[in-house]
Amino acid sequence: MCGILAVFGCVDSSHSKRSRIIELSRRLRHRGPDWSGLHCYQDCFLAHQRLAIVDPASGDQPLYNEDKTVIVTVNGEIYNHKALREGLKNHQFRTGSDCEVIAHLYEEHGEDFVNMLDGMFSFVLLDTRDKSYIAARDAIGITPLYIGWGLDGSVWFASEMKALSDDCERFMSFLPGHIYSSKTGEIRRWYNPPWYSEDIPSTPYDPLVLRRAFEKAVTKRLMTDVPFGVLLSGGLDSSLVAAVASRYMLDSEAACQWGSQLHTFCVGLKGSPDLKAAREVADYLHTRHHEFHFTVQEGIDALEEVIYHIETYDVTTVRASTPMFLMSRKIKSLGVKMVLSGEGSDEIFGGYLYFHKAPNKEEFHQETCRKIKALHLYDCLRANKSTSAWGLEARVPFLDKEFIDVAMSIDPEWKMIRPDLKRIEKWILRHAFDDDQNPYLPKHILYRQKEQFSDGVGYSWIDGLKDHANQQVTDAMLLKASYIYPENTPTTKEAYYYRTIFEKFFPKNAARSTVPGGPSVACSTAKAMEWDASWSKNPDPSGRAALGVHESAYEESKA
Amino acid sequence: MCGILAVLGCSDDSQAKRARVLELSRRLKHRGPDWSGLYQYGDSYLSHQRLAVVDPDSGDQPLYNEDEKIVVTVNGEIYNHEELRKSLPNHKFRTGSDCDVIAHLYEEHGENFVDMLDGVFSFVLLDTSDNSFLAARDAIGITSLYIGWGLDGSIWISSEMKGLNDDCEHFEAFPPGHLYSSKRGGLKRWYNPTWFSEAVPSAPYDPIVLRNAFENAVVKRLMTDVPFGVLLSGGLDSSLVASIAARHFAGTKAAKLCETQLQSFCVGLEGSPDLKAGKEVADYLGTAHHEFHFTVQDGIDAIEDVIYHIETYDVTTIRASTPMFLMSRKIKSLGVKMVISGEGSDEIFGGYLYFHKAPNKEEFHRETCQKIKALHQYDCLRANKATSAWGLEARVPFLDKEFINVVMSIDPEWKMIKPEEKRIEKWILRKAFDDEEHSYLPKHILYRQKEQFSDGVGYSWIDGLKAHAELHVSDKMMLNAPNIFPHNTPATKEAYYYRMIFERFFPQKSAILTVPGGASIACSTARAVEWDASWSSNLDPSGRAALGIHDSAYETKLSSTVNTNLATKIVDTVPQMMERSSTQVTIQS
Repeated sequence: MCGILAVFGCVDSSHSKRSRIIELSRRLRHRGPDWSGLHCYQDCFLAHQRLAIVDPASGDQPLYNEDKTVIVTVNGEIYNHKALREGLKNHQFRTGSDCEVIAHLYEEHGEDFVNMLDGMFSFVLLDTRDKSYIAARDAIGITPLYIGWGLDGSVWFASEMKALSDDCERFMSFLPGHIYSSKTGEIRRWYNPPWYSEDIPSTPYDPLVLRRAFEKAVTKRLMTDVPFGVLLSGGLDSSLVAAVASRYMLDSEAACQWGSQLHTFCVGLKGSPDLKAAREVADYLHTRHHEFHFTVQEGIDALEEVIYHIETYDVTTVRASTPMFLMSRKIKSLGVKMVLSGEGSDEIFGGYLYFHKAPNKEEFHQETCRKIKALHLYDCLRANKSTSAWGLEARVPFLDKEFIDVAMSIDPEWKMIRPDLKRIEKWILRHAFDDDQNPYLPKHILYRQKEQFSDGVGYSWIDGLKDHANQQVTDAMLLKASYIYPENTPTTKEAYYYRTIFEKFFPKNAARSTVPGGPSVACSTAKAMEWDASWSKNPDPSGRAALGVHESAYEESKA
Repeated sequence: MCGILAVLGCSDDSQAKRARVLELSRRLKHRGPDWSGLYQYGDSYLSHQRLAVVDPDSGDQPLYNEDEKIVVTVNGEIYNHEELRKSLPNHKFRTGSDCDVIAHLYEEHGENFVDMLDGVFSFVLLDTSDNSFLAARDAIGITSLYIGWGLDGSIWISSEMKGLNDDCEHFEAFPPGHLYSSKRGGLKRWYNPTWFSEAVPSAPYDPIVLRNAFENAVVKRLMTDVPFGVLLSGGLDSSLVASIAARHFAGTKAAKLCETQLQSFCVGLEGSPDLKAGKEVADYLGTAHHEFHFTVQDGIDAIEDVIYHIETYDVTTIRASTPMFLMSRKIKSLGVKMVISGEGSDEIFGGYLYFHKAPNKEEFHRETCQKIKALHQYDCLRANKATSAWGLEARVPFLDKEFINVVMSIDPEWKMIKPEEKRIEKWILRKAFDDEEHSYLPKHILYRQKEQFSDGVGYSWIDGLKAHAELHVSDKMMLNAPNIFPHNTPATKEAYYYRMIFERFFPQKSAILTVPGGASIACSTARAVEWDASWSSNLDPSGRAALGIHDSAYETKLSSTVNTNLATKIVDTVPQMMERSSTQVTIQS
């Protein structure tokens, strides 16, 4: 990942403004520790902090077209950049960077090229010929982006809120799959796949098609010139990513330079379920596995920093981000710059436990669509920002554009959880990789129910967080919460605690509005709360016990 | 390097205080990006930000003795740790960290163990059995360290000023070679070598002894479990370091970690003298050489960040730190965590050009002693903080304790510059490595006079800085400078500009006092200004032109032939008050 910041049309273009932009851009330096660049054109500034993953030697940004009339600052990876370059035969490229293609595509196609990009990206492009500019964000919002407006009439774009929150009168998340054009002054959606309408699809399930699509999604993400690895929690999703990555490792660019043994990483409290599960998978796949242990105290000590980095007060996101944040620091310290991660699978396949209660395939499908659309506020935000805090890049093959199209065109009847047919959650994914001849994973791993992320790192993690919050937040404080925080009022001491930290770093109204709220059980949308009347009574968002659908919960209640 | 912060006896053990210490410790995160640790014992806090260079897997800090009664947070490298471990056979070590030995030495020897450590270090040790603590800094001050006092009676120790300046009523640089003991309640110098008295030594010069001492100094600094390299500007000092490191590279752990060649690094504006010289040496030694080019604008854009990191407003230090700061970022991005660098040689051998005018060997020697004692404020500060800003560690073999002892015991008559005997500056060092059979460097490199650091990166660098300062500091501002900045009043617009930035980050009076000032010419101490009457009458002497002792300056005067173009260009563009990193050019008008 990299960090971008762009400011257009500020009244002041003095040296002190330049210094200010540099200072603000430094707030994103964790995202791109390797180098920085600033392009200044009249009253426009494009700043960049670079993490060098492709072409470390020459790909410093901003990037330009041939005659430098088009300038672009990009945070992202364009996986099909070589194919796109071939389609631009008459263009001369200045660097080997995958992102340079953006300037040339714009020259060739104007504003309508964004859907040609296969990858994850946020970019801002300035055309000095008519002083117009565009900004765009990838389909799902894997990379973060914010837009803001200054009192002086300036428009701001930044990878993280912290770079613009102090200088903008108002700001908000830049919607995923959208493009802003200065010519019209409008934000419009460029991403328009069939599933977006939430109509119920009818394609029959074909395991091989699904498998191929996912393998392709993983292999294209092995494009890198630096050491990389896989986050392996031992659950289905990360295990599949690791299995596919290690299988195709030999053919990848990276293997030529870094050896053919895949590195895998797992984090947890000592003795946690994830550590055990991941070790098992790593042994099976013969990866070079690294375990990181943290203590509850270390996690608590990191909370302020985590919230500063991930820019949310959403309880489950903070809980899950903290171990990931700690692990990212350790991974980075080993010299690894990029990791593959399993986010997105639960949304696409309806893998959360509450999907057990989906009343019919229509509701099931619509909920998956809603979940994917909200990913940028939750798991994408977490995966991106808790790794980027340490200059580590997370790539998420489940959120590959083509793979989503395939998975979301399948008749949702197949995704429904059917204990009667022995179909547990994400059955179609499991089944797609159930290859007896050349197994990707042992059966018991392929068909095992995973701990929800924050539980997996160790059961005492969440208990420890709650205890800590209980010590810091009094009953009286919680009682007055609705007056202090009328918007998204915290309902638990833990939520209240995170909120106070968030407000310390980001005190503006606009900041708190970037974080979603509303009722939820175990990560459901508010709409899905209607599936079971009993859910609305339990405010705990983790819902290990609340749902009573995890097999081990069944067993507990039997015992 | 790592970052340490200790708060001792602050009468506050609340969660809020813990959170505050964590927040302050994060200001040192650049020094140790790999992991962090915080140990709390009552109202005392020891925190650590770690750069893992030795034993990355288990050496997280703070470190403990067997029964966890003694807790230590260390920034440093102990080169003789294996030997020291052997001297403690009845002790059980918890980690492979080189710093682990400190807690055990304390257990064994009490407070009097610091001189046993061979290396660079700053540490704070807390003995929970009687709630006493120690803090110490290495002999020369290669690692940075500050000490502060809070209104609540607390004592603060921090690797950088930014870790304590907002919470202390008063703070100072922790003097190098000293030990603070809570039991005694004060500082005591533990470093007490023969040369410290500044008495003139008499050992005869033996080239082989000198060579062996320096080789040892370099070799012991190859101890690391991670990828490393050398900073190679192409001058004598860095070239010797690179040459020896390349010779011994095959035996290092880094070599076993799949590296095939020693990596070397050089920074400069495009076409700069250093880039050319660095490349030449790298080609000769066969290193994997990396060049980094920066533009004057890149440098100017980084100035604020540089001053925030290096915590000084000293003009030459800032000039020299900026290219080093930019290069460090690039080096780190290549996955390199440690570099070996050539600082200290000019001080030990009297390598600065003004030493040509030393009137006698006594003055010469006394000046070298003074320069070494001041290193922690200049080149050590630069080399440590400009690299640590990006989690890169710089090791400086010329400042090896044993090596200094050898060099500083030599009769200074040998160090004197004697053109009539063809002895240019640092001749005894050059001569020591003049090995016909197995040459370390080609002769013309071994005997070449080097550009002073800030010149070497490109002649337009300092001009660019001055032009930039000129734009942002008006004549009126300069007129009022003595009133605004009564202490160390900036004498130039450039100095004023840096000072403004410094005071924005570090507004406290204590902070201003940590930076040295006073009269100087071309990096001399105030006393050496007396060596030449013309120096003190020339208020803003251009180093090389005023000194008139660099070979190329001689040539400029003498000839109008081949050299003229180059030499004229140098004279025209050489900034006034040039010179390498440590000047105190605040001669008041």
